[in-house]
Amino acid sequence: MSDFSPVVVFYILSESLGIWLWIVLALALALLVGITYAALRLRAADRSPARPLVMAAIAGVLTTAIFTFLVPGWSHAEISALNGPVDYVFAILFSMVPAGIVAALVFIIAGLRCASGMARTSKNLVGAIKG
Amino acid sequence: MKRREFLIAGSAAALEGLSVNASQAQTSESRAKIVIAGAGAAGLSLASRLRHGMPNATIVIVDAKKQHHFQPGYTLIGAGLWSPSQVTSNNADYMPRGIEWIQEAVTAFEPETNAVFTTSGTRIDYDFLLVATGLKLDYDAIEGMDTALIGQNGIASVYAGPNEAQASAAAIDRFIETGGIGLFGRPTGEMKCAGAPLKMTFIADDKARRAGRRGAVELIYNAHTGGVFSVPPVNERVTEMFAERNIAVNYTHVLAAIDPGSKRATYRTADGEVTLDYDFIHVIPPMRAPDAVLDSPLPWQDGNLAADGWVEADKATLRHPRYPNVFAVGDIAGVPRGKTAASVKWQAPIVVANLIAETAGRTGSASYNGYTSCPMVTGFGKAMLIEFDYEGNLTPSFPFIDPLKEQWVSWLIEEKGLLGAYRAMLRGYA
Ligand SMILES: Cc1cc2nc3c(=O)[nH]c(=O)nc-3n(C[C@H](O)[C@H](O)[C@H](O)COP(=O)(O)OP(=O)(O)OC[C@H]3O[C@@H](n4cnc5c(N)ncnc54)[C@H](O)[C@@H]3O)c2cc1C
Repeated sequence: MSDFSPVVVFYILSESLGIWLWIVLALALALLVGITYAALRLRAADRSPARPLVMAAIAGVLTTAIFTFLVPGWSHAEISALNGPVDYVFAILFSMVPAGIVAALVFIIAGLRCASGMARTSKNLVGAIKG
Repeated sequence: MKRREFLIAGSAAALEGLSVNASQAQTSESRAKIVIAGAGAAGLSLASRLRHGMPNATIVIVDAKKQHHFQPGYTLIGAGLWSPSQVTSNNADYMPRGIEWIQEAVTAFEPETNAVFTTSGTRIDYDFLLVATGLKLDYDAIEGMDTALIGQNGIASVYAGPNEAQASAAAIDRFIETGGIGLFGRPTGEMKCAGAPLKMTFIADDKARRAGRRGAVELIYNAHTGGVFSVPPVNERVTEMFAERNIAVNYTHVLAAIDPGSKRATYRTADGEVTLDYDFIHVIPPMRAPDAVLDSPLPWQDGNLAADGWVEADKATLRHPRYPNVFAVGDIAGVPRGKTAASVKWQAPIVVANLIAETAGRTGSASYNGYTSCPMVTGFGKAMLIEFDYEGNLTPSFPFIDPLKEQWVSWLIEEKGLLGAYRAMLRGYA
């Protein structure tokens, strides 16, 4: 395994995925920006990130569970082809790619809603006090 | 540089600080002229690595073939899963910049005068010669056999090329539909990917089971020796699996002739010739050196590798003992084992590292241990990741994968990982 350096893995991935590698990397970057933005908005609104995090975790786990059964099909195999813990670990690892995307999206949406909900509530409160 | 290559190179350069491939870390300023005969897996991999490691050298690659085929994919085409276009690309896509590609075949090797001759009669002199011509599939050595027959009358052969592999897939499906006797086997002598004959047997068995037709087909594997595979633990495991799957084995049966009209195959056995009826036959021809190599002084002069023209080479350095400026890499190398693309992945860096060291005035110490690998597909979605060395020791690359266990992850490596790894190897990065 010693010959699988990060450079080698990068080249193998780029030859395997072609343009998709760049699409996935761009998506990952966009999601990272989205997560940071949502986290900053939550902080500005003085809201705890706990709720969006729990929602993201649930969505991530559910997506992982669903995709674990779909991943073998992507390789022209059936779920019954999974034979032993190593196969399941790899199926789960691959499922974590779509699960990560879903979890990130859920966190961003829930975080922004939570932050803007708070902002609306504070505005309403200020309005009510003033009024 | 194409935009995609630029992006890849830029990103890889960023990663380069994390890890540097040992053979690429060393360079030589030598202005030597290096000729590579053959632009297949070995030739292109050598060219890419030499371009990085010997920037001032003149590198000439000679091969008339313009298309490039990912041969390990042929079994997946034969299984009916891949299409020929998935394994076909152009050699030009992998040709490193600054390399002269002469689009002709080498017709003669003259190692005494350090020259090769091409189809047009051109003489090319060299300081170093890397022989990477691959091998010749000798279908003519089987009486009655012709590649034009593949796909007809129950004849299959995934080795002949991507289109023939596709015709073989159709032949397997027809055989399963109609039922009868299916014969499999392998030639005597050295061959590339000795696991592929077994893979095709397992694939036919699995396809028949999935179609609910296993009872209608009788599968027979004709082994050329007293075993089905030369590595003892693999031989034991596959023999066991064949028995479990009701695949019969005939030992010391070597295909000598076929009669496509009457569907009869003749085998040479220890007890003389034996003729078997078939409804389907997967033919794998004997393999030998291409004519230009065979007719040259390069092959072994005696021993079991002499008759088929394999280039004489030291098994650790792949250097020719009689012509020290000549190396043999890939299928043509006259070494025990090592006729897989996975072997090339280890052979090319070793030859290049030693060449760089030598031309830079150092002593090269890289040596090849006979690494050979062939993910043994045992059914749809299942494979055993078998890797071994000259001594027949199993040498698993991944400690968490049991080489003798049918696993989906091994199949995943074959189906999703190998092509990318192969292409990265052609570019000199893996
Ligand atoms: C059905 C099948 C399944 C396989 N499965 C696997 C697998 O699972 N794993 C694995 O690692 N390997 C596998 N292989 C083997 C692997 O493809 C070969 O070992 C590998 O391609 C060898 O590389 P090479 O460069 O030596 O030969 P090749 O890739 O065959 O290239 C040889 C090149 O030399 C050129 N040439 C020939 N004669 C001359 C001449 N006179 N002058 C100039 N050029 C010449 C040819 O045109 C060709 O381009 C499989 C092969 C087959 C057929």
